[in-house]
Amino acid sequence: MTKITPFGGFGLGLRRSHYSDFLDGNVLIDFVEAISENYMVDGGKPLDVLTRVREKHPVALHGVSMSVGSAQRLDRDYLSKLKRLIDRIEPLWVSDHLCWTRTSAHNSHDLLPLPYIEEALEVVCGNIMEAQEALGRPMLFENPSSYCSFPDNEMEEWEFLSEMVHRTGCYLLLDINNIYVSAHNHGFDVMDYVRGLPLDRVRQVHLAGHTPGEILIDTHDRPVCDGVWQLYGEVMPLLGEVATMIERDDAIPPLEDLLDELDQAHALATRARERRAA
Amino acid sequence: MSLAARQAEFMAHVLEEGRALPDGWDARFSAGLDIYRNAYRTRLVDAMRETFPRTAQWVGEESFAAAAAHHLITNPPSVWTLDLVGEGFPDLLAELFVRDPDVPELAWLEWTMHLAFIAADVAPLDREGFMAAVAGFGEDDWPSMALAFTPSLAWAEVKHDIPRLWNGLKQETEKPECPALDQPATLAVWREGLQPVFRLLDPAVASLLATMQGGTAYGDACAMLAELVGEEAAAQAAGAALGQWITDGLVVAVRA
Repeated sequence: MTKITPFGGFGLGLRRSHYSDFLDGNVLIDFVEAISENYMVDGGKPLDVLTRVREKHPVALHGVSMSVGSAQRLDRDYLSKLKRLIDRIEPLWVSDHLCWTRTSAHNSHDLLPLPYIEEALEVVCGNIMEAQEALGRPMLFENPSSYCSFPDNEMEEWEFLSEMVHRTGCYLLLDINNIYVSAHNHGFDVMDYVRGLPLDRVRQVHLAGHTPGEILIDTHDRPVCDGVWQLYGEVMPLLGEVATMIERDDAIPPLEDLLDELDQAHALATRARERRAA
Repeated sequence: MSLAARQAEFMAHVLEEGRALPDGWDARFSAGLDIYRNAYRTRLVDAMRETFPRTAQWVGEESFAAAAAHHLITNPPSVWTLDLVGEGFPDLLAELFVRDPDVPELAWLEWTMHLAFIAADVAPLDREGFMAAVAGFGEDDWPSMALAFTPSLAWAEVKHDIPRLWNGLKQETEKPECPALDQPATLAVWREGLQPVFRLLDPAVASLLATMQGGTAYGDACAMLAELVGEEAAAQAAGAALGQWITDGLVVAVRA
């Protein structure tokens, strides 16, 4: 299976309120990340927009519904529609999440937490292998944020992710905000988490905002907070060449605000590269 | 507990509040479940509101939220795409708003426009394309002509002036109106380019369209129409309808 070549670009998500910015303007970013499911349709405007954006920018496809953690097998209809989109868009890479979203009867349309037990690891790895085979490419999987931790966990989340990478050959999309949120919610040390991962397999980093409280909630509805910026600054020197992307899914501001945040990421990443070289 | 059983239990807690927790799922776990349950409801009701904005505007936010919640309880999503979360909602509204039959009609229009928005791209035949397709037709070929219509095309019978209501809601006029029609009419939806559109159809045209979209040949469809409106009127209506369908971009292929 082909490898995913490192790409050190800085990108933003393609959101409806910014369609005209991307289509009419000259947005100075290195890549665009599109939510796969929004474009896994038969035709019409969404697919037309993404196709035209693709003419201007490299596109990464980021999914939320593959559900590799479901005890049931993968949805073949989902896989075939994703493959069709991949063939059309020729993305930089395709990513999804370490989570489950559905049972045989219902779909939550949310990223639900897994127990970190051997049975779940076998299910996840089997599903990832099947997906990578069907799509003809290795994928990236994102570390989740979570609000429940199962009492019978047999391993830490980072150990689960490491073993998943080892068994399947997949890559990682490291969400810095998710580490921050889950560390707060479950009481682990952020750097234990980071250092426990196979960092050479990280190809992309996500930055996002969350809702503060007793339990932090990964809402993507506000700017990246200082704590997440600080963690990004600490993690980047440990990584090789990776792409960075700002995620915003609610209370979406003008594109200029997100470009300002992306500039901040760029500056931190540059400093990290200098520290790594020194 | 197996992974499948555990996930079924977790999902049941997401869908329904107040279930007894299994052993080991403590108060902190329960607080986390509350967040997932709240996110599930918020996300799906938001998706419903996004799919049916005019219906929400017409019935009021409170009534809409209650109806959407009812829909999600009786018809929780089972497929991966949020695009289909509103499937069956117009039918539910017909049960919930028995005294306001304009409500399910408006919801049908929004749902059908939503589906048309993401329907397959198929280039329609323009006038030149149609003429080229029938250029070799002999006199005997016309009655057996069958048409393939654009995949976004759908229609339903309505008893109220839903287009007037739609435009009134769009312009946010103070009191949008939705008078009953003198007689039931057919409301057709399709997509022109990237834009879904709709139109109330003349009854004769609607009848012809329904039969021909079902695969009936042009000659047989005209004969069926003649039984309803007489031969002369049927011939005039059929000729006019064919021209209008081509202009509207409804026809994507012609088969002899």
